[in-house]
Amino acid sequence: MLFNSLQYLIFLPTVFILYWFVFRKNLKLQNLLIITASYVFYGWWDWRFLFLILFSTLLDFFVGQQIFKNLETKKARYWLWLSVICNVGLLGFFKYFNFFIDSFIEMFSLFGYEIKSTWTLRIILPVGISFYTFQTMSYSFDIYYKKLKPTNNFISFAAFVAFFPQLVAGPIERASNLLRQINSNRTFNYNQASGGLKLILWGFFKKLVIADSLAPIVDDIFANYASYPASTLILGVCLFSFQVYGDFSGYTDIAIGTAKLFGIELMSNFKFPNFSRNIAEYWQRWHISLSTWFRHYLYIPMGGSRVSKLKSVRNIIVIFLVSGLWHGANWTFVFWGAIHATLYIPVFLMGRNRIYAHNVIAENSWLPSVKEILQVTLTFVLVTFSRIFFRSPSITDAFAYIKQISADFNYESYVHPMGYRMLDFYVLIGIFVCYEYIIRKDERNPFNSKYLFVRLLIYALVILSILLFYDDGVNRSFIYFQF
Amino acid sequence: MAMRKFILKTVLYIVLILLIVEVIVRALHLYTEDPPRFIDEYGVEKRVPNNKGYAVTGNRNQNYSKFSINDAGFNSHRQFTPTAGKFEIAIVGDSFIEGFHQDYYNSIGKKIEDKLKNVEVYEYGYAGYDLANQMHLVSAYKEDFDKIDEIILYLNYESDLERGDYEPNYDRIKMLKSTPFKIRDNIKILAYGSKIGVLEPLKRLVTGKSFEEPNKGYKTNEVEGISTEEQKVIDLQRIQNFKSLINLYGFDKTKTSLLLDSRKTSQAFLEFCKNNDIHYIDFAQEFKNSKRSTILIYDWHWNNHGRELIAKVIASYIQAKRKDSSLD
Repeated sequence: MLFNSLQYLIFLPTVFILYWFVFRKNLKLQNLLIITASYVFYGWWDWRFLFLILFSTLLDFFVGQQIFKNLETKKARYWLWLSVICNVGLLGFFKYFNFFIDSFIEMFSLFGYEIKSTWTLRIILPVGISFYTFQTMSYSFDIYYKKLKPTNNFISFAAFVAFFPQLVAGPIERASNLLRQINSNRTFNYNQASGGLKLILWGFFKKLVIADSLAPIVDDIFANYASYPASTLILGVCLFSFQVYGDFSGYTDIAIGTAKLFGIELMSNFKFPNFSRNIAEYWQRWHISLSTWFRHYLYIPMGGSRVSKLKSVRNIIVIFLVSGLWHGANWTFVFWGAIHATLYIPVFLMGRNRIYAHNVIAENSWLPSVKEILQVTLTFVLVTFSRIFFRSPSITDAFAYIKQISADFNYESYVHPMGYRMLDFYVLIGIFVCYEYIIRKDERNPFNSKYLFVRLLIYALVILSILLFYDDGVNRSFIYFQF
Repeated sequence: MAMRKFILKTVLYIVLILLIVEVIVRALHLYTEDPPRFIDEYGVEKRVPNNKGYAVTGNRNQNYSKFSINDAGFNSHRQFTPTAGKFEIAIVGDSFIEGFHQDYYNSIGKKIEDKLKNVEVYEYGYAGYDLANQMHLVSAYKEDFDKIDEIILYLNYESDLERGDYEPNYDRIKMLKSTPFKIRDNIKILAYGSKIGVLEPLKRLVTGKSFEEPNKGYKTNEVEGISTEEQKVIDLQRIQNFKSLINLYGFDKTKTSLLLDSRKTSQAFLEFCKNNDIHYIDFAQEFKNSKRSTILIYDWHWNNHGRELIAKVIASYIQAKRKDSSLD
């Protein structure tokens, strides 16, 4: 079920009413409702893959208890490995099986051995598998690292794994945050719920207005890059930057807002990454739940930055490559990760990777300094460049896209595939960037004016802009569902 | 208490927000106006006379044009007063001829009048007219059309020959006069939402289609391929419908012509016309040769350039047919 569908418009209030009016006094029933609603939400896409969620849930519920029982012995490690092997195995089979087979075949063909591709399978990628497997693994990891005690309540644990707002595209929650809340009695809080509605509205704006209106342009440019001049190709990848941000952060906002309606706080996943002053800050602001997952469960166990510089560099390369591969079974994503590692390492070696961790651009002033503007622009350019690989269907296409930019470096005004006025979209992005700049200090409160009339006017303008840019021909699925 | 406050404030905020949006939609005239329709005493469906307003296309007011319904109930810059002394051309057709996508004083008819001297062009356009509607209209207003020198019927072959007789569509008029439609027309945010398709999911819910698989990707106007045999059957039926209409209403071959796009019209039908001395004006070549788009943004109706080409084709045809120097 998509957030931006009529089904969800009926589903959400129904679950909300049952949750707060029917099952309010019984935590167990509330959690059972969360499980049922989540399975309906997921099963709407394909009920057969509910068994995978159930398998992952049962596995880590049991493994968590075994790890805890055997914490002081070597067995704990074996149980942890069981969880990792099974979850990664699921991912490996459904997401990477064909990728690895094809890659092996290609590798052998480089050495002159021709192998017929008879092993590749026709497998559907289950929506959200990368998200919920990582979430369940984090539970076992946290118990292993003694940061968490296992729960004996299977219903709570199943609700934690399948919690529908973040089930298919995150944020990838940790049990210490989400499971703790699911295990506790929730009381309805007006500020929390109204804050949730605001976030949902802002999320819809980002998805329907920014991402969906740019999608046809980006699709057209990337599909026909060979026939466009450099100016159009640069425009295409810049717009893709905004599209993917609007799409994914829009989804996250709707997820966080929805969770708030149920009295649950999810972690932030985006903190205005377009205003990052270097690549390290970008990764502290973009897909935060995945970055922190890799930091806690891969980077730090490998030694993190507390080992020699050389090993730290190795660790950085590993997490970026794995992060790339996490996004998709394609060398384009690995290459994308490699570019980010290459950009990150110099910042790390200069010791500047944490300098912006606790402040935002123009922290104490209205306007950014010239230096900040240059930093933000440079970071945006680098990140956007890497997205050529993220968006292209193959490495060959990505390099051809870049080659086309350098080969045909001239300007030609771009004509929208449907003939729409491009100025509308430029103005839209300009307003969006300016508005995000205004609210840059609090990603959880996009409408923070103290004047009621101003807030109402902004709400009205947001809804109006959804109408102004509504296009019923656009495929409204979320980009990150494919991961 | 918190829940009560939440629900009350949410409802209140939604109402206030919608009110503000309604004001903005009205102020920017984002909605389109649809002048009321009726069926007259001859069973002809038309607009209620003497209405003026603005028709809007696209989410962001991409096309904004003024319409003016004349005494006859059609959108035109002039009244229809055919006499034996003047040279009049009647163009009968659907929304393409009705021309709510252009200012009424810049219509195809006006463009033809600018090209031919001493000619009055009467545009009997009405959204939804098929050939049965058109031929019924010509027959119902026989007295007027007898005085008109040239009659051009706009034929969209793919949709205008689906029936061989005419019945006034009272259901449609009844539906448009129903309370939900009246509400839609008076609350401009609904009129706007309906126009841009944002209310489509709600309509699908009402019709029970909302829980089907959503469309993926872009909708296109491509016609799904059908076999030659199937096409033959369709062509035969359409030709049969045409014959039936001719039998019913007559067809003055000396002054009546069809306006069509041969790219979208079957060869069998074109041959039928040739074999039966039915003249047609084919604008396919002009459109094909045009380097500029002939249709509007957000809409498939002809844009100003498209209308200019249509006027040019019609004017050339009339000149060639009449060979009357007074028209040059």
